[in-house]
Order: sequence, then structure tokens, then C-alpha cells
Amino acid sequence: MKAARFEHHEPSTVGEAVSLLESFDELTILAGGQSLVPMLRFRLARPETVVDINGIDELDYLEEDDGYLKLGALARHADVQESDVVDDRYGSFVDAAPLIADPQIRNRGTVVGSIAQADPKGDWGSVLIAHDGEVVARGPDGERTVPADELFLLPYDTSIDEDELITEARVPVPADREGSAYHKLKRKTGDYAMAGVAARLVLDAEGRIEEAGIGMTAVDITNARASDAEDHLVGERPSADVFEAAGDFAAQESNPESDEHGAASYKERMISVLAQRALGDAADRAGVTKRRATP
Amino acid sequence: MTDEREITLTVNGTEHTLEVEPRTLLVHAIREDLDMTGTHIGCDTGNCGACTVLQDGEPIKSCLTFAVQADGSEVQTVEGMEELPEANGDLHPLQEGFREEHGLQCGYCTPGMLMSGKALLDENPDPDEDEIREAISGNLCRCTGYQNIVKSIEYASDELAETPTAADGGGVTLEERFDEADDDFDCGIDNCCGGPAGGDLTEGDHQ
Repeated sequence: MKAARFEHHEPSTVGEAVSLLESFDELTILAGGQSLVPMLRFRLARPETVVDINGIDELDYLEEDDGYLKLGALARHADVQESDVVDDRYGSFVDAAPLIADPQIRNRGTVVGSIAQADPKGDWGSVLIAHDGEVVARGPDGERTVPADELFLLPYDTSIDEDELITEARVPVPADREGSAYHKLKRKTGDYAMAGVAARLVLDAEGRIEEAGIGMTAVDITNARASDAEDHLVGERPSADVFEAAGDFAAQESNPESDEHGAASYKERMISVLAQRALGDAADRAGVTKRRATP
Repeated sequence: MTDEREITLTVNGTEHTLEVEPRTLLVHAIREDLDMTGTHIGCDTGNCGACTVLQDGEPIKSCLTFAVQADGSEVQTVEGMEELPEANGDLHPLQEGFREEHGLQCGYCTPGMLMSGKALLDENPDPDEDEIREAISGNLCRCTGYQNIVKSIEYASDELAETPTAADGGGVTLEERFDEADDDFDCGIDNCCGGPAGGDLTEGDHQ
């Protein structure tokens, strides 16, 4: 099926894009298009105007800068896989990128687009939550940052206004003794997650957990934080027992629905298992000597 | 507001200028406007990979990209495989591999498989089985069970390692020529080996 007719605009700067967003109603922003193009073709979305941001070179970056790992709106999933900057310190990014869809889709789909799409089954939202990340949005009144916890409202709905463009997603550069991981359950390659968990741990000099971040995929109406699990971890020493208890908290906090892939009770159980595995990997990675960020 | 746009696509080395509506998918432009029907539409949903082409060397699904987004880019499709230097004017080693190892039955997925295989071998000439399976993980085949497709790509990898192309000078492998050569060894490719601004064969990656 063909998409309904639309007007196609290709701004070459963020400024141009924002003025286009201001001047049209019924529009959609096109980045990688790996979810949007099928939605247009099945006419689930029928915008009159498509603002295609692929020509905005200033959005094509993935770098460490000013204390953040910054992903511009045109950084593709494959760019994360191929980046030298995204090394073991960013374990959850290293884990998540190759688990998304398939090679062809990773070459086109963008991290920021996936976050903006706000599909509760999307992986990057959980990573952003676990890392206490934020997005940068540009609108007619200038730029603002929105923390991950305030971003996701409902499935496919964020707190970003219609006339704003998310230009960047960013997470703080990992501290010393920080590690993170992402684990995902899916039936086969290319599927969305049935359940997924991003976990991040920061250890203190004595090896106790100083800070914990846990984001969950596909088990609530949005990507969701497991704050009870996080609270349980802080102050403890990493151990299988501590992680099992945290996994059970996360399972209780999750709110999955039964569907063709499994019953809600099964998914809750899987959240516990995935959380324990992700926490285990995060703790291992927090213990390894890591490369320092280059100034 | 339904204006057609003029775009330029370089498909298999030939530049085409065509008028397309913004909603025209790349796969439709290739099949219907350029009449190159080797690129298939399988599922129409972005799952099956039969429409895989290379855009500027990277495999993408041409049913998930509008043609206007490919304006100015180089597109490679199955029709161009025999014209590639490594084909030596005959079937491309990948195509030969699919024939020799029975890498297809109905053949519907084959053009996409070939393009994913080509993208893999361009980047990694000597992949192991896991790497091959990962590279074709975005391509569905309902006939073969994939076993023979993996063998077909392995066949092509072996073939490419053994048979030097016309561009390489022909006759003997690069390694043999390197062993026999003096310091001024030159594989014939710019910015590689002993070619202009080139380095050592053992250090370069032949790109």
C-alpha cells in the first residue's frame, strides 16, 4: 500500500526545521523512518506534511563532550555499534544496539527517532532511564532539556511539543566504578522485546552500590523505571541474593499485559530474571579498569 | 501539493534522473520507474529483506525508504552483480555460490540475500558462520532453512580469496604476489599496498 500524499520538506539546518514545525499543522518528523514509513504506508499516520531531517548535517554526531555522551538526532543504531567512543563503559549501549531489529534497519533507524517514537517496546528509552539521561529539544522559544523520567507519557506520546524537534539524546559520561548492561527477551531476530531491562550500577571505593538505575522495556505503557529495585540496591554489596531481591522488586513494579507472546505472570518473572542478569553484568563491568574519558 | 520531484539515482553505476512523488518508495522507483525488477517486494512491511539494496555501500530495505531520501546516492541492485570487478565478466562469486551450494529453491529472497552477502563480504572477506548468520538476519527465506545460504556465502568468500580479479592483476593471489615481490609490491589499487600513497600489504586492509 502506498502512503497518502504528503508534502515533503528537507530542511538543512535545525533553525529551518523548527520554522517548518511552527508553520504547519498535521505534520510528522521523518528521521530513519524504519517505524514511520510503514505507519505512513498503512495509513496509520496521514500527515499532510513530512519534515525530513536527514539532510541536517549538524545533527549527525555521536561524541563525548562536556561530561555527556551525546547522540545527535541522526546517529543511527549502527553508528552506536561502530563507534569507538561507545566502549565497555557504556555497556548497556553496547548490549542494546545489536539487539535492535536487523542490520538493514540498524543502518537507517536512529536512536533519537526511536526515543521520540516512544514505543514502550523500544529499547533506548530504558537505557536512557537507567543512565539518568535526557533529551534536548529545540522549539520556537529556544532550547530545553527534558529528563528521561519526564519524557514518556503514553505509548507513542512524549512531553515534547508539536513544534519542537528533539536534536539530541545524552547521558552523563560514566563515573569510575560504573557499569551497565541491557538484557532483552525476544522470540527471534528482528522482533521487538517481550521484556527488557537496562541496569546501571555505580560502586563506591568499598565496593558498595552507591547509585543504581533500572529501566524496563515492554512491560508498562511506557518505558518505566524500577525505583523500588533501585532503592533496594543502594548501600548493598553486589551479590546474587541482593540482585534476586532487586529483580523481584522490578517484577512487582512492572505492569505487563498478556498477549500472544506470553502471560503477564510470565513476563513479570522474566523481568526478574533479566534484571538479575543485567545487574550481574553491570557489576562486573563496574569492577573492571576503565579507560578514562579523554578531555 | 502532490508535485513530483526530480531526483538522481546512480544505480549500478548508471545515473538516472527521474520524477517521483514524495510518497514513492525507493523499491517502487527501482522496479517501476527504472524497470529493474530484480529487487523484490516480499512482505511489504520491512520484515523480509527481499527488497534489500545497497545505498552508498550499506544494506538497507528499499521498502522502508522513500525514493526522495535516496536522491543523489549510489544504489546497487542484483542486476549489477555481474558487472562488478570481482565477477570477471561472469556470474559474481556470490551468485555462483548460490548455484553451486543450492542456496535457493524458489528464489524469491535471493536478490536480498545476495545484497546482504555482498555487504558482508565487502566489509569482512572471511566471515565465520555466526557472522554470516548475523549478516543475513534481516532476510527471511522460507525454503532453504538457511543452511545452504550460509554455505553459498562461504563458497563466495573462499572463491574471492582464491581467485584474483582483473583489478588485482589476475593469475596468482595477492599473498603469492606479495611473497614474490620486492619492496615495491603494488596490488594496483590506489592508496593500498605499494600503490600511490600506499602502505605495507601486511598492514593494509586492501581498501
